[in-house]
Order: sequence, then C-alpha cells, then structure tokens
Amino acid sequence: MQIRIGVFLCDCGKSLSNIDFPKVSERAEKLQDVVHVGLHSNLCLKEGIEEMLSTIRDGAIDRVVIAACSPKLKEDAFRNALEEAGLNSNFLSLANIREQCSWAHEGDVTEKALELTAMAVERARFLKPLVKKDVPVNKEVLVVGGGFAGMKVALDLANLGLRTTLVERGLALGGRLEGFETNPAVPINSMRKAIEENRDIEVLTSAELTRGEGEVGDFSIRIKKGDEELSRSFGAIIFATGYRPEISPGDFQLRPGVNLISQEKLTEILKAPERLELRPKTIGFVLDVSDENCRLPTLSALNDALAVKERLGSEVYVFCKSLKVDSEGVEEVYREARDRGVVFVKFEERPRICSEDGRVKVELNDILLGDEITVFCDFLVAEERIMPSEGTEALSSILKMRIDSRGFCQDENVHLYPVSCERKGIFCVGACRGDLDIARASTDVAAAVLSTYELLASGTAIVEAERVKVDPEKCRVCLTCIRVCPHGAIRLVRVDTEREVAQISDLACEGCGICAAICPAKAIDFEGYGDEQILAEVQAIGESL
Amino acid sequence: METSSLVIGGGVAGVAAALALADNGSQVYLIETEPSIGGWAASFCCKATDVCTKCSVCVVPQKLQQVAIHPHISILTDSMVAGLSGGIGNFKVEVLQKPQYIPPERCIACGMCAEVCPTEPKAIRSPSPEAVPYSYVLDESRCLRLKGETCDLCRDICPTNAIDFNHEPEKKELGVGAIIVATGFEVFDAREMGCLGYGRYPNVLTGLDLERIFNREGYLKLPSNGKDPKKVAFVQCIGSRDESHGYCSQVCCKYAIRFARLIKYQNPNAEVTIFYIDLQTAGKGFAQFYEECQKNIRFVRGLPVEVLGTSSGELEVRFENISEGTVKRETFDVVALSVGISPKKDSWDLARTLGINLGECGFFDAKEPLNSNETNVEGIFLAGTCQGPRDIPDSIAHGMAAAQSAMEVLERCK
Amino acid sequence: MIRGNNKIVAFCCENSAYLAADKAGRMRLHYPDNVRIIRVPCVGRVDLIHILKAFEKGAAGVLLIGCHEGACQHLTGNTRAKERAAYARNLLKEVGIDEARLRMANIAPDMAQQFVREIEDMTEKTKER
Repeated sequence: MQIRIGVFLCDCGKSLSNIDFPKVSERAEKLQDVVHVGLHSNLCLKEGIEEMLSTIRDGAIDRVVIAACSPKLKEDAFRNALEEAGLNSNFLSLANIREQCSWAHEGDVTEKALELTAMAVERARFLKPLVKKDVPVNKEVLVVGGGFAGMKVALDLANLGLRTTLVERGLALGGRLEGFETNPAVPINSMRKAIEENRDIEVLTSAELTRGEGEVGDFSIRIKKGDEELSRSFGAIIFATGYRPEISPGDFQLRPGVNLISQEKLTEILKAPERLELRPKTIGFVLDVSDENCRLPTLSALNDALAVKERLGSEVYVFCKSLKVDSEGVEEVYREARDRGVVFVKFEERPRICSEDGRVKVELNDILLGDEITVFCDFLVAEERIMPSEGTEALSSILKMRIDSRGFCQDENVHLYPVSCERKGIFCVGACRGDLDIARASTDVAAAVLSTYELLASGTAIVEAERVKVDPEKCRVCLTCIRVCPHGAIRLVRVDTEREVAQISDLACEGCGICAAICPAKAIDFEGYGDEQILAEVQAIGESL
Repeated sequence: METSSLVIGGGVAGVAAALALADNGSQVYLIETEPSIGGWAASFCCKATDVCTKCSVCVVPQKLQQVAIHPHISILTDSMVAGLSGGIGNFKVEVLQKPQYIPPERCIACGMCAEVCPTEPKAIRSPSPEAVPYSYVLDESRCLRLKGETCDLCRDICPTNAIDFNHEPEKKELGVGAIIVATGFEVFDAREMGCLGYGRYPNVLTGLDLERIFNREGYLKLPSNGKDPKKVAFVQCIGSRDESHGYCSQVCCKYAIRFARLIKYQNPNAEVTIFYIDLQTAGKGFAQFYEECQKNIRFVRGLPVEVLGTSSGELEVRFENISEGTVKRETFDVVALSVGISPKKDSWDLARTLGINLGECGFFDAKEPLNSNETNVEGIFLAGTCQGPRDIPDSIAHGMAAAQSAMEVLERCK
Repeated sequence: MIRGNNKIVAFCCENSAYLAADKAGRMRLHYPDNVRIIRVPCVGRVDLIHILKAFEKGAAGVLLIGCHEGACQHLTGNTRAKERAAYARNLLKEVGIDEARLRMANIAPDMAQQFVREIEDMTEKTKER
C-alpha cells in the first residue's frame, strides 16, 4: 500500500536564517512517497500543531516527518498530536535542524538540513505502528531479609495495601540491630509485633530462596523452608539482606578475646556494667585499620564512646585516621564526645597493637602531638569490616542480578541509585547495598516502597506491545540475547511441543537494543531503531537528490 | 479533600519527589523561584576521567525532561509561596508568580529578541543550555521598557507575540493535600573567609566555580592568564565543621577528590594537593576511586590559614602540615576552596509562612531522626538539602522518601 | 554518499552524546557541518552492519559516541560498542580503510566542548588532502 509521507518544516519563527527553506521544501517534495511539504514557523506551539493536524487529516497523511528543533523538546507533544489526528504515535520521524544544524554551524546549512530531512523521510518509510497495552502484574511483593529495613518495607507496603512475603534466613525477625541501642533508635520490637499482627504480611523464617525466574510483574520464586519447598509468584522483589560485620584479627595483630572485643560484646557490657569484676579504666576504639573508607564503624564508635562515658566513666580513646562525619548529626555527636572528654587520636600510619600485662597496648604516632604515644586499654573495641551478607553472591545469581565491586547488592552505576537494580522490579535497600547508616536505610526503604507501589498498585502496567520482539521463526535458541540483556528482560518460552524460543518481556525491556545488535540470526526487531530504519538513515546521507 | 500535591523547589530533590508522585497518578504542582528547574545540579559538570567517577550529575537532564513532559506535573516557574492556610489533606496555598514577560509556554527560543535588545549587557538573555523550560529570560533591572523608557524592539520582533510588558505579578491559589519543601541550599560565601583570598585573586576559585567552568569549557585554565594549571591546591571544609556550621557538608571531599583527579588527568604533569581535616571517602562506589587517587594526588592534613598573591601572580599558601608538625609556605597557581552547603537565608520566611521549624543549624527541622522528611506540621514534608547537606543520589532518595510520605497522606484523602 | 564530501556519521547515544550535541548547538559552538548524527537509544544498539554500511556508502569517518565506562544506563552498552568498534576496525583494515576512521568516544550530556572536539578531530583526520 502506498504510504503518504507529510513533511513539516519549522523555521522557528523565521529565525533559522542560514537554511534556505523554500529550497529544502522544493527538494523534499521530490522525495519518494512524500505527498506534502509544509513550511511552518511555530510547530511547537498549540496553533502550529493545530495547523499540522488539519493538514494531516485533510491530506490523509499517514507518516509524519517533522524537521524542527531537538526531539528532546517536543517529541512527546508531537506524538500526542499524531494520536489526536488518528495516527499511530509511532509514525513520527524527526530531524533536528535547529540545535544540530542551524545553530551548530556557521554559514549556509541548507544542504545539511535537506539531508537530515531526507534521513528522517527514509526512516519514516519503515515505521510500524506501536500499540499501548495493559499487562497484568502480580501485586504481591517479596521482601528478602527480616532486619530493620526489611521489616519496614513490609510494614509500609502493607500500609499501602500491598501484600508481602517476608523471607528471613534466621530463626526470627529482628536482624542485626536487635539488642543494640542505636542512634537513631529503631523500634525493632514494636515493628516485629506489628508484622505478626498484620494479615497482609506473610513471614517465612528459617527460609531461603532457591530459585528465581521471570521478570517484573511475574517473578516465579522457590523458597526452601525446612523440608518444604514453596513456590510463589511476585510482582516485585526487595532485597534488605543487610551486611555482615567481620573482625579481621590480622588488622589488629591480636586475636579477639578478653581485651580485644567486638561492638556486640561492648553492648553487652554496657547493658549490665555491674556484672563486670573491675570497672575498666580505659576503653579504646580503633578505626580505619580494617577499612579506611567506611562510615558505620565511626558511627557506632562515637555512640558507644558516649555511652561508655556515661555508664562506665572510663577514659575513652578513639584512634582513627579520618573521622567519617558525613552523616546527619554525626559532627554534633563528635563534638559532644570531645566535650565529655573522649580523646581523639589521629594517626597516619597504622597503630601497633599487642597484648601486655593483661591489657591491650596501642602504640602509634599521634600526628597532632607529633610524637609516639602508648595507650594501655582494658578493652579495645575492634573496628568491624563491613562485608556483604553471607549468601549475597548466591542470591544475586539466583535472581541474575549484578553485585558491586565489593560484593554488595546493586551495581555501582549511578543511574540505579538510590534503590533500583538493572532489572526492573527488583530493589535493594539499606546496608545490603553497602556501607549505609540507619537514616539512609530508612530513606531507601521509603524510596523503594514508593517505586514498588507505582509499579504494582493498579494491578496492571501500560506497555508498548512488542516494541522489541523476537521473531520465533528466526530464533535459533542460542540464548545469546538472554545472556546479554543487561536488564534480564528475556526468557525462554515454549511455543509448541518441540520448540522453545526467546521472548522479551515488554514491561522489563528498557529499550536499549543491545539484543537486537547481538542476535546472530537477526531475529530481533526493535521498532523505531530497527536495522531497516537505521540503515535507511545511513543510506540517505549524501544521496544525490 | 485534595488529592494533588505541591512541591516547593525544582532542584534534584523536588524533581525526584514530583516524578515519584506524578508517576503514581497524583497531580503535582512544582513551583520554582528561578525561571527554570534543575537547581544547582543542572549547572554542574561530569567529572569522569576515562571512567565514570559516580558524581551523578548525568542523571539530572533525563529527570528534568521527564518532568517537563509529564501529564500530571504543572511547573510554575518564577513562583514562590506567599501564604498558607488549611491543614493536611486540605491546604490552601497562595502562590505568587513574578510577571512572566516572556511566558515559557509561548517562547520558542528563537533568540531574535536578544538579538535586537539594545542594552549592554543585554536585558534579554538566552537560557542556560540545560534550562528546562528552554526559554529566554528578561532581566527586569536592565530592561529599558520596564524602567519607563520607550522600547518595544523585542516585543515587535517576537514571532509568537510572546512578550507582554503588561504582565503583572499573578496570585494563584492552589488546593493541595500535601506539601513537600525542597528549596535546596546556598553555597557558603567564601569571601567570608577573607584570608583565603576569594574575590581578591582571580585564581582563587570555589568548588562551585569549578563546576561552572568545567560545565561550560570542559577544562580548567587559569582565570588570570588562560594557561594550564601546574600546581593546584584544594582546601576542604570551607564553611563546614566550623563555629557557625556545626556539620559536615558531605559533598566537598568527594567533589574535591573528583576534581583533583580530573585536573590531574587533563594535566598529567600538574601537582595536585588536597588540604583536609578528615577525609570523607565513604559511600558506594568511592573507595576504589579514592585508592587510585592516592597514587598521584598529594593529601596533606592541615588547613591553610592564609592565601596571599605574589608579585609573579602565583598564590602563596601558608598551612600547618599536621602530619609533619611543621608550618609551611608553598606556592600554587590555583587554589580551589571546597565550599560547603549552607541553609538558605530566606528559609526563615518560608518557615514562617508554612509554620515549620528551623533546626539549630538553620536547615528545616525534621521531626524525628528516623524519618527525616516529616516536619512539625502534618502534611508538610522535607526533601533534599533544605533539610540538611546531602549529595545528589541522597537528595533523590530523600525526595522519593518525601513523596512516599506525601502519598500516604493523599491515599488517606481519597 | 560521495567520497570527497568528507561526511562523518556519528551514532550518538540519546542519553549522553545526543544531549551534548544539542548543548553545543545551544551554546552556538560552531563545528564542521559535515557530520550527520544518527540518534540511537544506546550506543550498544549500533551493529557492525550499520558501521560497515556507512563506510560502504562513502563516509569518511564514523563515530560511536556513548556514555562513560560505568555510566551507561544499560550497563554494558558502551562496552559492547567498544568491542564492536574494535572488531570493525580489523575488518576495515582488511579492506584498506584506515582504522583511524572509526572511533568510539565516551562523553557525558553536559560535555558540549568535548563533543565538538570529537567532530573536529575526526574531520581533521579524515580530510581529503
């Protein structure tokens, strides 16, 4: 069937004076299948669009080419206009003759403007309609990890009317913050109680994920609980698996024991100081030996230092290289600690730590004093290395998700921050992403809850149906696209008793086209950026007209 | 009960909040005092060398564009909140819009008005290249017509008849269920630290100046003579962690290290030094980068106390090298002051209008530490640096979190 | 395409290079007008055949401009494009086309000056002498 291309040129209020528009118009009319070329001055305004629409209707135009300002400004408005004229919004092809032509070059740019228009016309030839479709999404949410962040996600989602399944590897909910007096304080007990009473939250403890398939809106997950293996479906998944603290004895040249203690041990002591035989005279905190670039140990050391002063009255030393104060309220706590007599000793080279006379001896070069000093501590609280939770790698491979360079959830790509993953519908909140404090974790939770709600609340999602599509006839089932898709949007589906082919999820697809480029059988068509369309543009460059 | 919401401030946090709310189907009014949205981040630069350094500036343009085309977001530029009544679920907000002599919805950015404007410097200027909406702006203080003289050159030449000098300030009343305050921050004025020479010597710059320079030019040349930098000093904690700013601005160490690396990458023979108190290098994606930097960037613990110009045009910096325990003088050709995030001075007015509290440091006060979006007024939430210093990703997260709180309010209102 | 016109085909990622090109125009940073920009959603979309077709049709040079390593919204798009360009350069060598005529560059959306430099450099390199 003959296509009827309408070309609309805009001279931007007649300001694009280095383009000879009548010449462009004249030559464009000669292009194949072009039935109309119109010159306008303000296509971006309402009146310009109205003019264009009536021309489209009157001229029975079915492909629209607009040569005007950058598509980044008005592409959306133009697509909406096409819908108004009864045309599929995908039948639009744009040429950037302003920002990337008239404004970009000195002198006459008529030839270039014409070429850009011709490129857009050639591309328009190969456009196919795209239809928006509603796809159902499963409204249930899987939350992995029953610590503070996981519990908060579940509660907030339930508040908004979404049912969640909270999977926790341990015996009970509570996580790492249970039993600690944190700053800010987190109401772990009341949260746990609220969850138990909430009928929209299913809690599975002593449970782990074993398999994950599918994409956003339709994840199929297998959960092992004891001897049982449960199969569930979810629309979205939120990781809140926290972190694992680790004390590396090598960092302290001492084995953890009576005097080199963990933060947990200190907390125990602080809860019941009367149980100690001897009040400790001196307690030291050492930071920046396991990891110079970590916040959490600083935050807990500062809070604990104050607690020690208050409850034990001991001398307190904090040995550190650079104090991490880049979180809200920390500078205040630091100053309070200093006011209360906590001594901060800064070092450049690692302190030498050993056991002597039943105490811990810390020797270092105090850079403020400029001298070697020795401090004997009754207890030295060891800095914890903040590590990814055990099983993070396994989980990431079950859900085919990337982990970052340190093994934490969520790739370090800034486009994913704060809580998204490269796979739509999967989110990571809190310390499972890395060295995150409670306040930041709380913010993460809210962000993930809202994003999840947006995806699932209505039970359906609007997609452009089959924008990127695998031709089942051509698919050779080499699995390359499945492996290569950075968003995990492709899966194998059975088409008949003999064959399985690759299929792209419209909802999970982010429209990059990497699959289309890599498919060895050229079985993947990407509407709008298909091979035909791109090649047509390339061919149109410089073709004599 | 109103189901729409108001976001005050179109910077990164406000934009994130607006998008999150709008994507959930709510109608959002986004008001912004400037003629364009995007806030500080829109004028910042990418700090990549051969790899991305995670500064997050590149995430902004896409978000601004999404706001511009979103069917549920109404952007009101040149606007501010003048009054508030009502309460959660039912706020009545009085918005005052400055006269938009060039309404953005009529401006096609052809530039002809600026061409014919007779004043020098021009009263009509082109928008910054990142501006959303991308429309020309009239500077009232320079416009002859607005000063009472006869001049209709721009109005006559405008092809869409967009320019109208009869525009008056407009009062609009908006009925909204929830309000998000995302008014951003002010940069610490480095001139307040006179001993460091900002404003006196052209080659003393702030971090903000660097952002603008790289955004426009792509590289740093000495402002005084256009030559390549050879000895660069960064000075941390300018306007942070001092008597009047009892907090860490969170962004300065990272941006300084990124800039230091970038300058070194572009000028491999340059010497780059960072003077600091405590180096803030925590955060996702930074540690590796920092470790790399330690190889060819000099880190000196101890802040300079004085910067003096020499007769040869260099800058002599007097500092205490705490690690060595010595007082030194060294010359540099550029000194970059890592200025911090300060609360806006006019927060007072907005705080009074909305009835929300300011905290000790001058930022808007969050009611509780675990929920730093909530204010003392139900239904009014905080997003971004107006509540406290944070970087771009944290501001986006904070904006989304504010939207979540606002959403809960709106859901209850339905 | 007629050789001698010194046409440069620049496949520009819409998240970075395309925006940088728009910015260059908005800043009125003038650059040679022999470049033709083809917008792609990610530089990883660019296929071997697109590159080869450009040369077949007489392009003097081809640029693939995408986001910085680590900043690609689609994570691996720019790396794939880099590999593809390297592969293409080998093929081009076999048919006697100088490798320097195909280049992969990485920029961010605000880098108008760098965009212009890429165009100017390629134009200079591929100028008919």
